[in-house]
Amino acid sequence: MRPSRRLHLPLQPIPSTSSTSAPTHFYRNRQLELYASKRSKPLSLRQLIFFGRSMNEERLIQSANYVRTELPVRLAHRIRDLQTLPFVVVRQEQVAKVYELYWTAFERVRSYPPIHDLHDNERFCEFLQQILDEHAAVIPMLSLGFSLSSQHLAPELLDTVLRRMLVSRISRRVVAQHHVALSRSLAQPRPAGWRRDQQDHVGIISTALDAGECIRHCVELLHQRRGPEGQERIGPEVKIDGDTETKFAYIREHLEYPIFELLKNSFRFTRLAHPQQPSEPSSLPPIQVTLVNAPTDVHIRISDQGGGLQSADVVTPSDLYSFSHLRNKARLASDRLAALKKASMSSRGMMATVQEQLRSEEGEEEAQAVEAASRTHLGIGLPMSKIYAEYFRGGLHLVSLDGYGVDAYLRLPKLGTMLEDIEV
Amino acid sequence: MAARIRALESLPYIVGVNPFISRLYTIYRESLDALLREKEVTTLEENDEFVRRLQGLVESHANDIPIMAKGFQECKRYMTPSAVSAFLDGAIRSRIGTRLIGEQHVAISRSLSHPTPGQVGVVQTDLKPREMIQHCAAFVAELCESTLGVVPQLVVDGMVDATFSYIPVHLEYILTELLKNAYRATAEHHLRLPTPTPPSITLTLSRTPSFLSFRIRDGGGGIAPAHLAHVFSYAFTTAGVEDGGPYAMQHVGGQAALDAGAPPPPSPSTSPSLSPAPALAESVFTEISATSLRSSMGTIAGLGYGLPLARLYASYFGGGLELVSLYGHGTDVFVKLRSLEGGADVLL
Repeated sequence: MRPSRRLHLPLQPIPSTSSTSAPTHFYRNRQLELYASKRSKPLSLRQLIFFGRSMNEERLIQSANYVRTELPVRLAHRIRDLQTLPFVVVRQEQVAKVYELYWTAFERVRSYPPIHDLHDNERFCEFLQQILDEHAAVIPMLSLGFSLSSQHLAPELLDTVLRRMLVSRISRRVVAQHHVALSRSLAQPRPAGWRRDQQDHVGIISTALDAGECIRHCVELLHQRRGPEGQERIGPEVKIDGDTETKFAYIREHLEYPIFELLKNSFRFTRLAHPQQPSEPSSLPPIQVTLVNAPTDVHIRISDQGGGLQSADVVTPSDLYSFSHLRNKARLASDRLAALKKASMSSRGMMATVQEQLRSEEGEEEAQAVEAASRTHLGIGLPMSKIYAEYFRGGLHLVSLDGYGVDAYLRLPKLGTMLEDIEV
Repeated sequence: MAARIRALESLPYIVGVNPFISRLYTIYRESLDALLREKEVTTLEENDEFVRRLQGLVESHANDIPIMAKGFQECKRYMTPSAVSAFLDGAIRSRIGTRLIGEQHVAISRSLSHPTPGQVGVVQTDLKPREMIQHCAAFVAELCESTLGVVPQLVVDGMVDATFSYIPVHLEYILTELLKNAYRATAEHHLRLPTPTPPSITLTLSRTPSFLSFRIRDGGGGIAPAHLAHVFSYAFTTAGVEDGGPYAMQHVGGQAALDAGAPPPPSPSTSPSLSPAPALAESVFTEISATSLRSSMGTIAGLGYGLPLARLYASYFGGGLELVSLYGHGTDVFVKLRSLEGGADVLL
């Protein structure tokens, strides 16, 4: 007797019944459709700054109510996106979790009562912060969930939907965090330890962000990073030329994250391409960073000599941005999947920031998980960098001089007039 | 060839009656006729005769591209830019292939009597990019000096001693066009700024098992975002000439090349030591925008065709060309060429 092979393959258990898979969920969708039919109102950096500059109680309440009404609309659009995906994709454990998180957040923000005074606002800020924290692990969840769904979705569709999800996520967090930051600065105009440079802040926006200083800061952090076994390492020298005095209004994190990720890659591949003993004096070729302050954009070019892109997993540099394993086979590496899974389970999550990658000193187990994850090459750095750059309609472009090195071109609009790139 | 004639025949009637396009049509018909009349070649003597006639044919087509450019420029009212681009891409690509077959045969026949080491027909198996760079740079530097009075330095780094297997004239064309752009942009940008010396141009070479790549990086101010979309389109699809900057200036040059009457067709040199005759170019054209490269490929430069053509050549054997501009600073151009020793087949 031949055992039937099929019998030995247990079907994936259906995730435990939750509010979003309950039969009534289908009929509650009417509410969502109401919100999804409204257009979201994209903002520009300039609007965020002007509104935040002359802050008073009345405007703050206005801002709070804007956030309260805008967030459900933006969330509804993304929930609708998920609802149009094949059933099997959203049933995937990680995506299902995100769907549920989004639905819950939508319901909660939607039913939040209007804000009338500063006391209401304080509670609203706590509420927002709580949701922000709950959603910390959405990036690894989506990344893992969608990568695992590669066989069910054409690569272009997968990347389009995921990109929209992630851009929208950035936009909602910017709106929420900006409001929280504005509320804080109104509550305590000059807190203890007030520094002069904080004058250049409106909410979460730096009005005179020093690009050169940002790059030097990232370089310093990278030089401090130790090897996988905690050993000291020699890093390549980073030379900065061009318009090194460039200052522009931007969100620091949105500039720092791409620079950090790009430099991290450059450091890694420069070391790999030029192996040497720690005792020897550094013979690593320098990384050249060129800053250009053009009329409408700030350009940052990072040129390394790390051997260029010669991987069997991807065909062109643009495949590196793809979340589909059909375009980037490296997405199926088991250590990568495991690390993503770990990051998506962690309560701290992974918010794609520079800060979260530096916490190993604290010795917390959770923090170490995130820090370790950032070493496993999750494949989130480049796509997220591109998405950050594109959020205010800038861009990120990689060109490989095969056998020699990679040039990364980061372009960020500096006038602040560009509207958020959120598709409705 | 018959395919190209069919393509010409399928153009709109009004475009076909344009004197330039119809001249081109006649040349193609005559060449096809001539080739069809050829009997099968059975002996070496017959081959010698055939080679001589073939060479004549190759020469008679030296000015096809300027003729075509002029023709389509006059016809731009009747065809969309994308239709023109598609036609020209096809025409030029097939032209590269057709000439390659013809020249390859001429070269093979010649090498039977005069064998040259390191060469298989028109392909040179030990091509040294560094030598070619020096050769092209010297030519471009002289033009630059004579018209703008300043010459930026050229620094070559990376794997400077790399060699690969390629068709020298293709590499020469690509290098000359790109260096010309880089030199001119750098010199002009420098003249606008009070810097003591123009920033140097860096050419970085790299070799992988199947490709030779290089990057030309200049500090010539880059390309305005508004023009960036046009740098790979054929000249007549770009914006007006007056505000065009360094790239649109080629437009004027192309005009000059045609107005100067059909320049004497250069002898098809099949030897690797090509002489782009800078002296001749200077006598015919007075400004750098009118510089014209002579090679066995005929007069093709100075038409605003430099970049699109360079990209066609680079991608012909499965390579590529990419341009990135940092507006206000400079331009990086990346070229990737497949080394031809392996089985690098391309559909002609």
